[in-house]
Amino acid sequence: MGKRVILANSSLEKTIDKILDQTEQDVLSNLDGALSDSHQTLDNSVTKLEDEYDKIVADGRKEADKLEKQIVGSSDIEARNKQLLAVEDAVSRVFTKAVEEISNSDRSGDYANLIKSLLDESTKVLGTSEVTVFTNSKDRDVVQSTLGSFAGSELSSETIECIGGVKIQSKDGAMKFDNTIDAKIDRLKPLIRKEIATKFGVKE
Amino acid sequence: MTTEGGVQYSKIAEIKGPLVVVDDVENAAFDELVEVETNDGERRLGKVLEVGNGKAIVQVFEGTTGLSISGTNAKFVGKVMEMPVSKEVLGRVFDGLGRPKDGLPDPIADKFIDINGEPMNPEQREYPKDFIQTGVSVIDGLITLVRGQKLPIFSGSGMSHNLLAAQIARQASVVGTDDDFAVVFAAIGVQYSEAEYFRKSLEESGALKRSVLFLNTADDPAIERIITPRVALTVAEYLAFELGMHVLVILTDMTNYAEALREISAAREEVPGRKGYPGYLYTDLSTLYERAGKLNGKKGSVTQVPILSMPSDDITHPIPDLTGYITEGQVVVGRDLFRQGVYPPINILMSLSRLMKDGIGEGSTRDDHAEVANQVYDAYSRAQEVRALAGIVGKAGLTEIDLKYMDVGDVFEKEFLSQATDENRTIEETLAILWKIVSKLPKNEITKIKDKHVEKYYQGE
Repeated sequence: MGKRVILANSSLEKTIDKILDQTEQDVLSNLDGALSDSHQTLDNSVTKLEDEYDKIVADGRKEADKLEKQIVGSSDIEARNKQLLAVEDAVSRVFTKAVEEISNSDRSGDYANLIKSLLDESTKVLGTSEVTVFTNSKDRDVVQSTLGSFAGSELSSETIECIGGVKIQSKDGAMKFDNTIDAKIDRLKPLIRKEIATKFGVKE
Repeated sequence: MTTEGGVQYSKIAEIKGPLVVVDDVENAAFDELVEVETNDGERRLGKVLEVGNGKAIVQVFEGTTGLSISGTNAKFVGKVMEMPVSKEVLGRVFDGLGRPKDGLPDPIADKFIDINGEPMNPEQREYPKDFIQTGVSVIDGLITLVRGQKLPIFSGSGMSHNLLAAQIARQASVVGTDDDFAVVFAAIGVQYSEAEYFRKSLEESGALKRSVLFLNTADDPAIERIITPRVALTVAEYLAFELGMHVLVILTDMTNYAEALREISAAREEVPGRKGYPGYLYTDLSTLYERAGKLNGKKGSVTQVPILSMPSDDITHPIPDLTGYITEGQVVVGRDLFRQGVYPPINILMSLSRLMKDGIGEGSTRDDHAEVANQVYDAYSRAQEVRALAGIVGKAGLTEIDLKYMDVGDVFEKEFLSQATDENRTIEETLAILWKIVSKLPKNEITKIKDKHVEKYYQGE
């Protein structure tokens, strides 16, 4: 009886030891697995973190580039606009001065030739010399003396406001041609603005 | 430009819609510029449409409202309409006739160029083959724009084509070269708020510095719209072929241009063609679209993106129909995607860039570009079929592979197609998203990509 009890105890101890060993192995293996999983998770998060970090840095760079473009772009435009206004102001002053000088110029000498060439050009454009000629009060005498070369033309009693030159009209009033110095300057202005601006140091 | 003046005629025979008929006119020329002076001294511009029998028919750009037969004079200026051009036009805002709208003086001109342009000698044309990055994934990835190409955007009323136009104008660039790049933006008959949006959008992004804006708003005379694309293209040609820049021209909305053409045609009592548009609509549109291109021996290029809103979303309407014959592909904005809130709502299955194949690949974008684009195109097409099937049999009736394609369709729309209006994606970012979509498919479904590319870029299981 006593021998049997001892045998049973020993077998129970062996079973318990076996279970303990098995459990220990399981626990250790689980711990190893958990450790390896956590390493894996950590490794993955490092890559993910690095990706996120790179993305944030790239987005930041993009945003900075955008802001730089905005700031540089708008300040360039502002500076350019100020320069444009300054140049335009200077060009206008040049024209005003030129107009002033032309209107105060002497009506003797070559001026009669200028009026003749203006009349010549105008009658050619209208295709007839049977025209009524308009001019300002200052040029009336010069124009009147030139009209002899243009058969059928007559000087209107009305005067017009201009620096100089002539405006002609067909006798029926259907066709008009403006060949005043004012009109010439208006037509010339866009063409010579660049030359004037260049003189002020604006790059071509 | 000449310093000679023109003859002023005072015998106005008739005023009919936007047209003025002048009597007893001698020596007028076709397309000659005309200054129409009203009773109170106001001057409006026009051009000669027809001459003969002592009469000239003049089309007044600013409309004939307020003109009367007595007291109106027409001065034939003796030259065609010209646009003053120089590098200074960059950063400027003009109206539809090319007059400054930004409170600044006229640009100091290097040249005055006829706005009707010189037709390009076909023999001198160079085949377009260089990529333009718009920063919009769906265009760069699947409907690639190439320098010198004309690629229209077909949209419908109320859709987000103007947002897209402004985004392209802000973001477009040429990659891999130091060449100068410029954008010429012509708004034709747009609402005031839209015009302001375009201006502000370019100004605030700093892109105005390299842009030229022509704004013709809806309340401007319709006839002005005939001129707007022409002045814009004249400036673009100057920047491209004289200054060697790569120029992207965006014309929105070409439907308004065609409406103006119809108005003039009706006033001239011409025999109407389809939907009342003139029979020469095709020829007229081609005179604009064909001004895009590259020339042998010249550094620059003119690329066109005309935008048109299709009346009733009808792609067979004469304007998109005739445009499609002339241009090299089309980008179609889809109503369904727009209703779903997708931006940009581009329907890729109806869109195509005919020159894409020449502008992508090794040396331009990346060697796998064409293949991955084809695969995604194919997968999205299949996804649409599966969606239609799911609408009938339900999701439960779909196979596993069908479900994967459905997933591809969703990722395509959410991650690739959808993009914020201020999001500028590089071509590398775009290709990375395309590979993300392809990687949703099992490897055995990838049939259009070489193995070496699959090995390198595939991220699936």
